[in-house]
Amino acid sequence: MAYPILDPTGTVTKAKASVRAPRRRDLRGATVGLLVNTKQNAAPFLGEVGRLLAERYGATGTMARTKVNFAAPAPADLVKEMAASCDVIITGIGDCGSCSASAVADGIAFEAAGLPAAAICSDAFRVTADAMAELRGAPGYPYATTPHPVAVLTPDQVKERAAQVLGDVVALITEPG
Amino acid sequence: MTGPKTPEAPDPQVAQAAIEYCYAQGWSDGLPLVPASEPLVAKFLATTSQDPDEVIGEIEQVGRTCTVYLAAVNAAMAGCLPEYFPVVLAAFDALMRERAARGGGWQSTSGPAPMIVVNGPVRHELGFNTAGGAFGPGFRPNATIPRAVGLIVRNAFGIRPHVLEQATQGLPGRWSICLAENEEESPWPPFAADGGLPAGTSAVSATLLRTCEFVDNRHTPDPEHVLTDIADTISRTGSLIFKDTSAGVVLCPEHAQLLAGAGFGKQDVQAWLLEHCGRTGADLRRVGKNGLRGSARFADPDDTEDDDLFSRILPSPRHVPIVVAGARNAAISMVVRVFGEWSGTATKIKTIGNERGRVPAPVTR
Repeated sequence: MAYPILDPTGTVTKAKASVRAPRRRDLRGATVGLLVNTKQNAAPFLGEVGRLLAERYGATGTMARTKVNFAAPAPADLVKEMAASCDVIITGIGDCGSCSASAVADGIAFEAAGLPAAAICSDAFRVTADAMAELRGAPGYPYATTPHPVAVLTPDQVKERAAQVLGDVVALITEPG
Repeated sequence: MTGPKTPEAPDPQVAQAAIEYCYAQGWSDGLPLVPASEPLVAKFLATTSQDPDEVIGEIEQVGRTCTVYLAAVNAAMAGCLPEYFPVVLAAFDALMRERAARGGGWQSTSGPAPMIVVNGPVRHELGFNTAGGAFGPGFRPNATIPRAVGLIVRNAFGIRPHVLEQATQGLPGRWSICLAENEEESPWPPFAADGGLPAGTSAVSATLLRTCEFVDNRHTPDPEHVLTDIADTISRTGSLIFKDTSAGVVLCPEHAQLLAGAGFGKQDVQAWLLEHCGRTGADLRRVGKNGLRGSARFADPDDTEDDDLFSRILPSPRHVPIVVAGARNAAISMVVRVFGEWSGTATKIKTIGNERGRVPAPVTR
């Protein structure tokens, strides 16, 4: 009896430790990239966040892009395109098993591309979002949450939620000197 | 305490300790595992010409892959016999052809279950149940092969409940649906033929399911009664979340034979269901699924669609695959609710020295 019991998990390939992009002092003059993941209410939610960042924080423009496959992280060319034109990124809404994890993975990908990012997830998916951050070599990567559920909100409620999460979003992407 | 003891009977305390060790590592799906050792896994690897290091699946978003070797370890732990391993590999290959399984399916709140359908001589060579109780339990290959898939997802891909796996409720039988088609009592060509392989090929087809719903209809000789009953189940609003839906029908031999006797080929059954499955505008409005945003249904307060307008929900025959399984002892069939859509392909089971899809008879132990 000299045989060990075999491990069925294999070697975990640790993603290389991610870099956190330098934060902006503020958002004046910034172009805000909105990466919408097609989940119900994601587009109006992020749209309102973008509008408020312009109205209250001096951002000068938004650039919205839609991720066709919400379950998977954004394709590299989409990250590259947005990174070339934007100064900060807001991504979401993480509102399901795969898309919450992906929203966080996208945030980390934009950080690696040099952009401060804020992922927004429903608070029902914290565990899976945290697990993805760890898989991507960024344990404890901070993101913003909004109470679950999001998909059933009316247009007015979506605006309220966007206003509520705004402070957290700004805190994630800026670092006043 | 004394009892009969044969000389080769293993020490139960050692076996129990090994089982508890596996639990403690977090490898188990909740049920006891067979502790895997190199000699056991070597027997699995000997059944395939594929290299142990060959990558057979990748979940890009979690950065994990599965190799032939890891699949063998998990299949051994699931309770498979080594000779089942080519079926595990074919089933896994078939599943990885499904867009939903490559994407976020294993992480999904819907918690979908793989459904594996086995065709050809391998069914009898490996002792699959091809008759009554098709959805289980009770038969080792039918029970352990889907369990192996579940362990691969858990261990090799690292997608575990409450963490990267976010099933809201999941569904009964998530890692236990492996049907061997009752080809002997089916009036039609085997399911693998619909997936592009010639009849007589040992093959596996697979997709993901959200649930299974029975249709018990045994007191009518009229095929339209039976089809109407099946169409009603397929058209249930609770399962309609997109413009299109996909629902397989696992017909019992009695229903299949009744339909065939009335002149229905499999394609005729599919065509009938395509025509008759759907809901009216009023039905959809009542449940808040009257609007379409992209392809997703939602409650649209501004919709002005006609209450009587009938919206069909099955876009093509591939969206309503038909399998024949079970015993011929009652007219009870199953609607299986496909997660996403079936790729429409079958995978040949490959074994060493026999690339024609035949598996050698199992070794007697």
